Amino acid sequence: MPLIRKPSSPVESPAPDGRAISELLATGSDDERWNAARSAPMHPDAVPLLAAALSRERVERVREAIFTALAKIGSSESAAVTLPYIRSDDAAQRTAALDALRAMPAAAAEHLPQLLEDADADVRLLACEIARAMPGDDASLLLANLIAREGNPNVCAAAIEVLTETGNVASLPSLAHCAARFPDDPFLAFAIKVAGDRIGSR
Amino acid sequence: MADAAPQITEDEFRRLADFLYRRTGMVFTEAKRYYVERRILDRIVATSSQSFAAYFAYLRSGLRDEVEHLINAFTVNETYFYREDHQLACLSADLLKERVATKKPGDAIRIWSIPCSTGEEPYSIAIWLLENWKDVDAYDIEIVGSDIDTRVLDAAMEGVFGKRALMRLSSELIGRYFHELDDERWQILDDLRQSVRFSRVNLIETKETRAQGRFDVIFCRNVLIYFDDESRRIAAENLYDSLLPGGFICLGHTESMSRISPLFEVCRYSGAIVYRRPQELRA
Repeated sequence: MPLIRKPSSPVESPAPDGRAISELLATGSDDERWNAARSAPMHPDAVPLLAAALSRERVERVREAIFTALAKIGSSESAAVTLPYIRSDDAAQRTAALDALRAMPAAAAEHLPQLLEDADADVRLLACEIARAMPGDDASLLLANLIAREGNPNVCAAAIEVLTETGNVASLPSLAHCAARFPDDPFLAFAIKVAGDRIGSR
Repeated sequence: MADAAPQITEDEFRRLADFLYRRTGMVFTEAKRYYVERRILDRIVATSSQSFAAYFAYLRSGLRDEVEHLINAFTVNETYFYREDHQLACLSADLLKERVATKKPGDAIRIWSIPCSTGEEPYSIAIWLLENWKDVDAYDIEIVGSDIDTRVLDAAMEGVFGKRALMRLSSELIGRYFHELDDERWQILDDLRQSVRFSRVNLIETKETRAQGRFDVIFCRNVLIYFDDESRRIAAENLYDSLLPGGFICLGHTESMSRISPLFEVCRYSGAIVYRRPQELRA
């Protein structure tokens, strides 16, 4: 009956060799760069090494490992390295950067006020998603301030969606004010009503 | 008895939740406070600590495996044989067919069940393959069960189960693979028990997952939901590392790897949706 008839000798997945992380990140094979990125958080100069690697890396899974390493470090500096990639023209890169920032909510939160005032509406919209991972009251205050002045209805809609989840009664006046600023936008009116109902029922 | 133990303040709860997160990747928010508190108070009593502070110091000192006892208290272990049998059907009908396409008879097929809890899943895999996969004798199949909870691993190795765990097995299967003990308890036959190797592994510890080697198929059901985004990413990368190129991972039916990581390909079969480590590296 035994399913194994001879002892197996499992092949361990490869671990980084003795070469410097910086060398492996720069010149290693795909597997070596992947492993080096995964080991990098233990390295004292990890953030600049990962920043340099991210700027030249073209293999998606290695980029993913670099973003995860930056999230694991979770410092203001590692968030700063990640932030420029939410401006990328490549949707996969934007999503990867956004996911990484959501995985380091405390570090990303430090940059959120500036992001919500960015000149680029797409960046402001994505910043609303970062707020979703923050503690509810902090996110609600920032997003309520945003919808009080934001001129782009898509950004408002993104913020309202997060407020629906995280908002509190203090968000209600800003929601009402936002509805009044966009009287001809039926979607925003609907989204604001849903948000108000949800917040009111909590 | 726990009622006599000291209460836990908000700050103490937060410190403990941080400690558990760093050790396990599991997230315990204020919403789970009651669940956490009950178990902590039990451990405070069990270790004869006079206060939370005394217990926390004891915990951090690493004495007498208290970290392990605490982690064991927080893991959820209820499961049963042939749970999610549609995935087992997919394993024998589709996944192994693809895996053996590049193997020759006698080669190893490695299957990993993590977390394996008290062993129902890895033993189910063994029984299912013996019953349903025609090539079961042609390959050296190694099934490994891993869990962070050493208490359940001990139980898994013992292989004794109650009626509830066997509720989805026919009396024929029970008769074929178990022997009855007493008081409605059954033990897996020794031959089958020795077919599954058990090991203690924390899914977010890369060194620990690497030590298990690489697998053709991984069952990793209903654990990623306990992790936050950062731990989930690390776990996904560890799972990727633990798969042979082209190997498959089966998650719980409410989980989606696509929402966690872009590293895997989605594979839709008639019985299940599973994820695959790509054969070729994508540029």
